[in-house]
Amino acid sequence: MSEISLSDRLATARPAVLGWRRLSALQPVRVLVIGLSLAILFALIAYPLILLTGYSLVDAQGHLTFETFEKAFARRGMWQATVNSAWLVALVTTSACALGIPLAWIVARTDAPGKALVTLAAGVSFVIPTFISVISWIFLAAPNSGYLNRLATGYLGFESAPFNIMSFGGLVFIEIVGVYPLVFFAVNAALNNVDASHEQAARILGSNRLRTTLTITLPLVRPAILSAVILVMLDALSSFGAPSAIGTMANFSVITTKIYDLLKFPPQFNYAAAVAMPIMVFTAISLLIQKYAIRAENFRTLTGKATPEQILTLGRWRWVAGGFCLIVALVTAILPVGALLLLSALSSFGADIRFDNLVGKHYALIFDENFAARASILHSLLLALATATVCATLGLVLGWVVERFRFFGRELIGFLVMIAYGFPSIAYAVGVLMGYVDLFYGTLTLILIAYAGKLLPIAFVLVRNGIQQLSTDLEEAARISGAGWLRSIKDVTFPLVRGAVGIAWVLVFSLSLRELSMSAILAQSDTQVMPTVVLQFIEDGAVELAAALAVVIVVVSLAMLGLIRLFTRKKTTAVA
Amino acid sequence: MPTPATAVDWTAPTSAPAAEAGRTRLELRGLRKTLGDTAAVNGIDLKVASGESVVLLGPSGCGKTTTLRMVAGFIQPDGGEIHLDGVLASNASFALPPEKRHLGMVFQTYAVWPHKTVTDNVAYGLEVAGRSRAQIKAEVGAVLELVQLGGLAGRFPAELSGGQQQRVALARALATKPSLLLLDEPLSNLDATLREEMRFELRGLQKNLGITTLYVTHDQDEALVLADRIVVMNKGRIEQIGTPEEVYRTPASRFVGGFIGIANLLEGEVAAIDRVGGRVLVALDAGDRLWSRAPERWLAAATPGRRASVLLRPEDIKLERPEQPDQESGTEATFVSETFLGNHYELKLQAGGTLLRVQSRRRGTFEDGRTRLWARPGSAWVVA
Repeated sequence: MSEISLSDRLATARPAVLGWRRLSALQPVRVLVIGLSLAILFALIAYPLILLTGYSLVDAQGHLTFETFEKAFARRGMWQATVNSAWLVALVTTSACALGIPLAWIVARTDAPGKALVTLAAGVSFVIPTFISVISWIFLAAPNSGYLNRLATGYLGFESAPFNIMSFGGLVFIEIVGVYPLVFFAVNAALNNVDASHEQAARILGSNRLRTTLTITLPLVRPAILSAVILVMLDALSSFGAPSAIGTMANFSVITTKIYDLLKFPPQFNYAAAVAMPIMVFTAISLLIQKYAIRAENFRTLTGKATPEQILTLGRWRWVAGGFCLIVALVTAILPVGALLLLSALSSFGADIRFDNLVGKHYALIFDENFAARASILHSLLLALATATVCATLGLVLGWVVERFRFFGRELIGFLVMIAYGFPSIAYAVGVLMGYVDLFYGTLTLILIAYAGKLLPIAFVLVRNGIQQLSTDLEEAARISGAGWLRSIKDVTFPLVRGAVGIAWVLVFSLSLRELSMSAILAQSDTQVMPTVVLQFIEDGAVELAAALAVVIVVVSLAMLGLIRLFTRKKTTAVA
Repeated sequence: MPTPATAVDWTAPTSAPAAEAGRTRLELRGLRKTLGDTAAVNGIDLKVASGESVVLLGPSGCGKTTTLRMVAGFIQPDGGEIHLDGVLASNASFALPPEKRHLGMVFQTYAVWPHKTVTDNVAYGLEVAGRSRAQIKAEVGAVLELVQLGGLAGRFPAELSGGQQQRVALARALATKPSLLLLDEPLSNLDATLREEMRFELRGLQKNLGITTLYVTHDQDEALVLADRIVVMNKGRIEQIGTPEEVYRTPASRFVGGFIGIANLLEGEVAAIDRVGGRVLVALDAGDRLWSRAPERWLAAATPGRRASVLLRPEDIKLERPEQPDQESGTEATFVSETFLGNHYELKLQAGGTLLRVQSRRRGTFEDGRTRLWARPGSAWVVA
């Protein structure tokens, strides 16, 4: 009966309804969604970046000129800052690889003790932003007054203080500790994913372990290493927190701190834009390399965990490797975290470490309502909430549009989003400032725009991956069952990517809390956020207060990241 | 839409097919679709009658899945038309959205929603159609019984085996009583034993329910079991449409002969023509003369001396002389190899320059490695 009814219905209604049917086949909601998401994306990312480029290339009369560059780089100290940045990138990248790759190999492929400790330590130093670890290292290694220096001169017989964190070398060290986890995690994951049979095939053919590692394993993880190297370079180049804190004290500059200086009153937008251009160009080149060189050799070797046969027994080298692991964990995580906690509770920096010198007054001051710090906590939480919500929503819509719609310009969305990802925060913030300063000067909205644009890529990639793993069949099955596409998203797609959206929300929230370089440029006196206040404390020499507020940031971030477990635990079983 | 009868009786054979037999459910007219720069579907004409089971069969890349997805409404054709129940559903400028086509579909990956229970999966289409809760419950229960999943209604897909998920997918597609059921290689992810079992079960269901189906597969055995008519496709075109027997015994082309079953092709020259009997006498290059049936159109154009290829299936080649052979002295062949396969022997023999595959119940006797072959009377067929 019902079989016939369809044709009857369609046949009788045919002439009158045909027009409507044609219209509904166009799906106006769909067009609206694509248009709207493209518009938002353009406003958030493309518009500031176009402005930035424009300002650096066009003079006040509107003529195309390179004069701005010449003038900007002719300024005093600018060339030295550029050289400093280049050295910073080179040293940090090579050292992070030298540390991260062997460590990843030890953890993935040997029976060294302390492997779990290293993974944990890398996680911790990944979570702690460099402007916070600066505080720890001031406590530990400030010239003369640092507690490690006092230990060395007072008890170990050193004649002068061995460490000086307030130096270019100190900055390099802090940056290495901050970025090596990128290399470590990427290479470790890649090593775990190399199918054991690739290596076994080489062994069967007579290649020994070393040769197999060099000729088979390393080439297989090369794409991961290259990706990590590019990330590390971009990170070091665009880093602002530690260079700003240490540079002020040790009196040197890098490109990012120069940009910041140019935006202080009176702001010189076109010079700032011009100085940001080298970073932009470098970023664009790196992204192109990433896209073409690495994708080209991105072999599909994903299988699973390392099998027992792949684990190398180290024998007596086992303890050497274990010692290495322990030192890394100690230096990159245990010491800094301990120092931060201790400093936040110590009566004053320089006081002896005794129980009766431990006080809660710094925390009390931070939460004091007559003090600027409390407002900054509220601002940060509010911004984090808003940014996470905006990014998760946009990420879902854009990820879905890119994965499911076939239309011209689909690739453009992914491209725009990835540009924002690789883009140095400080340059992006300059663009946002130029684009929206008239509308939102001195408001949290201005900061929200910057946060959302910069962190959207993270939400986008996570949610897009989630959608990619969903077979289109699942949605098509809903369509065939009679559901329109909006309903198929509501009933099928969204419930299945809810986990990914949740994780994206939490990650963006945590990253918003610790964002410094854009906040430093965009925050005004009554829109301060936690990181800018921390930086102010450091520069004012109030390191105890800086430590206490930093502890608040770290604790809230970690608590939020703990929420991820909630999302992953309930995750629905894998979908083919 | 008139409300369907509330009493749900799935198991009784429906009378609907008899009442409207011959009515065209689906019609494809000159359907074309280009994907990339290849013509994935290049001019397809097909009619599927109510209650009929039509199987699209062909190698991968022949356009069968593209055709099915155009019928479903997921792909819009570049040319030609699709009519469902006599109403235009797709052409190059218009496409009725999939949800308005009232179809059922079983996907190759099953596409059972992992976040919904078996019941919720099956109930979905009925919920979208706005049926009452009581009605949904009754219909879901009935259709789950039909596919023998009654006991698993509350389970999640992750707790089911592949075969059970397959049944959920089938139940979900059947629940809305679609006017046409589409199946896209539904059995290809099952293991061999289960696949064979499900073939017969699917065919049984299809016949009992009288449901119109369009089924896509590359597996010839599946096609033979499931089809009322097989549509053999190659490179975006239809090579032949026919019943399983027609397609197997009288293939329209070399491609069809080779794709379905094993084809031994013996080359030769036409020696005599019997237009009344619909057959020709072919002087084989390998020796001997053989009476062979031939397609009508080929026969009409046949003249003595014309080259011809004679198709013989492995089971139609005999090692003993039949009582009334279609040939004179038997074709001489030399022994190459022999394999015992349980219910028969698989022989490889050389006749002239051609290697022949022969399935024989007996081992056959050879003198100096030689024997004479005979075609089972009436089995030889000239392929165009």
